[in-house]
Amino acid sequence: MGWVMKMQIRFAGIGGQGVILAGVILGEAAAIEGLNVLQTQDYGSASRGGHSIADVIISKEPIYDFMVTKADVLVALAQLGYDSTKEELKEDGLLIVDTDLVKPDREHIGAPFTRLAEESTGLALTVNMVALGYLIAKTGVVRKESAEEAIKRRVPKGTEEINIKAFRVGYKEGLR
Amino acid sequence: MIIRGDEPEQIRLLKKLYRPGNYFMQGNEAVAYGALFAGCRFYAGYPITPSSEIAETMARELPKLRGYYLQMEDEIGSIAAMIGASWTGFKVMTATAGPGFSLMQENLGYAVMTETPLVLVDVQRSGPSTGQATKGAQGDFFQARWGTHGDHPIVAVSPVSVEDAFWETVRAFNIAEKLRTPVIVLFDGVIAHTREQIRIPDPEDVEITYRRLPENEEEAKLPFGDPCGDGVPPMPLFGHGYFTHVTGSTHKENGLRDVYTPEVHDRLVRRIHRKIESHEEEIQKWEEYFTEDMDILIISWGVSARPSLGAVLRAREEGIKAGLFVPKTVHPFPGKRVRELLKGVRAVLVPEMNLGQLILEVQRYADDVPLRGVNKIGGVPLRVDEILREIRGVA
Repeated sequence: MGWVMKMQIRFAGIGGQGVILAGVILGEAAAIEGLNVLQTQDYGSASRGGHSIADVIISKEPIYDFMVTKADVLVALAQLGYDSTKEELKEDGLLIVDTDLVKPDREHIGAPFTRLAEESTGLALTVNMVALGYLIAKTGVVRKESAEEAIKRRVPKGTEEINIKAFRVGYKEGLR
Repeated sequence: MIIRGDEPEQIRLLKKLYRPGNYFMQGNEAVAYGALFAGCRFYAGYPITPSSEIAETMARELPKLRGYYLQMEDEIGSIAAMIGASWTGFKVMTATAGPGFSLMQENLGYAVMTETPLVLVDVQRSGPSTGQATKGAQGDFFQARWGTHGDHPIVAVSPVSVEDAFWETVRAFNIAEKLRTPVIVLFDGVIAHTREQIRIPDPEDVEITYRRLPENEEEAKLPFGDPCGDGVPPMPLFGHGYFTHVTGSTHKENGLRDVYTPEVHDRLVRRIHRKIESHEEEIQKWEEYFTEDMDILIISWGVSARPSLGAVLRAREEGIKAGLFVPKTVHPFPGKRVRELLKGVRAVLVPEMNLGQLILEVQRYADDVPLRGVNKIGGVPLRVDEILREIRGVA
């Protein structure tokens, strides 16, 4: 899937899934490529379990909205996250879900991201990287190399390797 | 030891720690780095959403610059600690959100009355009371102006983007230091948690200033007088050999209490006003877009200014002559300029994330032009298309 001027991407899940970090890394990758990018977040006040949303607007032109107005892509990692924002996805938008955890009522693609994370790294919390890899493979919104550079900059020291491993698992899944 | 922030050693440290260049950064982080570049070396605070990343960043970075981060027991203690530190010569800051800003009002008045330079960042969230903790808002426009009691001037600036947050924080420090007064940064939870690209400058390219200190014993004896004639007395710092009395009660030019004589109170409070009013032109700052040729004027601030600009650009594409005015200094409000702009305008729209606050300030300068608020609450920022719809409605 190519993109022309502007792409609005929303990640939705629950607190603890690293949804916001996925958004930050995608944003940083776009910044590395010199694109205009704005990343915002919305979350409940509970540190775990509440809904969590990260928005990334990537554009070749200046960006005037602070949040995604209509998403071109929605990445849903939990049913609660999906339910809270499904209306914001464009009718012809791309829905990507964790197929074990989200049962959408519309056309979608995806993979069991959490399961893939557990199997490949032993850590369910790398689900955000798996989903990010999948998204980038499917959309080409940024280059794989930019995303990996952004991961190195943003994840806690010492966890770069495991996060990149998870990212590559998702990327490979997305190419299938 | 006093740290102004522009000593060669400090510049060296800043350069070593923060390489100039583009960074993908959050609004709250930009505020913190703006403060560090402005020379802030003391932060006392009590973390509160959506301001907490400012405290986190200051706690992490200040020790590297020989500064101090103090975790206080609450917001009342935070501003009190910062006032004390300012009197020892530090440039000081705290950050909070609505509920904490309410608690700080008492000592904000104390800072006005004792002419203590400080920067107070209010990351506005939805109120009243604890409201929506994680959501942005613009509901504290008048709390910043009149939250503390009694006649008093106040300076408040309001950034419109992440990069702007860096520079407006620097500007807030410069005004605070130059005029020996508290300055409020009216920030908001949306930009606070927005990440975008910002350019971190070379510290030598950031113009910063430091308060005027007494040059002799005579000046030091008048910490609340006007020995320099511009209403801003030199500040005799604690620990530098002077006896200085500091009180929130009405005091004479030498600092000693006199809560009885009408003329003493009149002289003091009028001078505190005069020192801000006579520097208004230096303090005020705004942005204008397409104002030389417009029928409809949009006046917006902070987080709402950016979607307003997007809407004005779209309206222009449709042939609607819309213009935009964005006050960056919101208090004292640049009313004179607004009055000029209103001549010949058919309608005025005021988009903001509240139920109508800036619009009341605008109203003071609008004699016969119809004003209409574009108001949104609930924590979601105004959108370009929402503002555009309103522009079309008055076109």
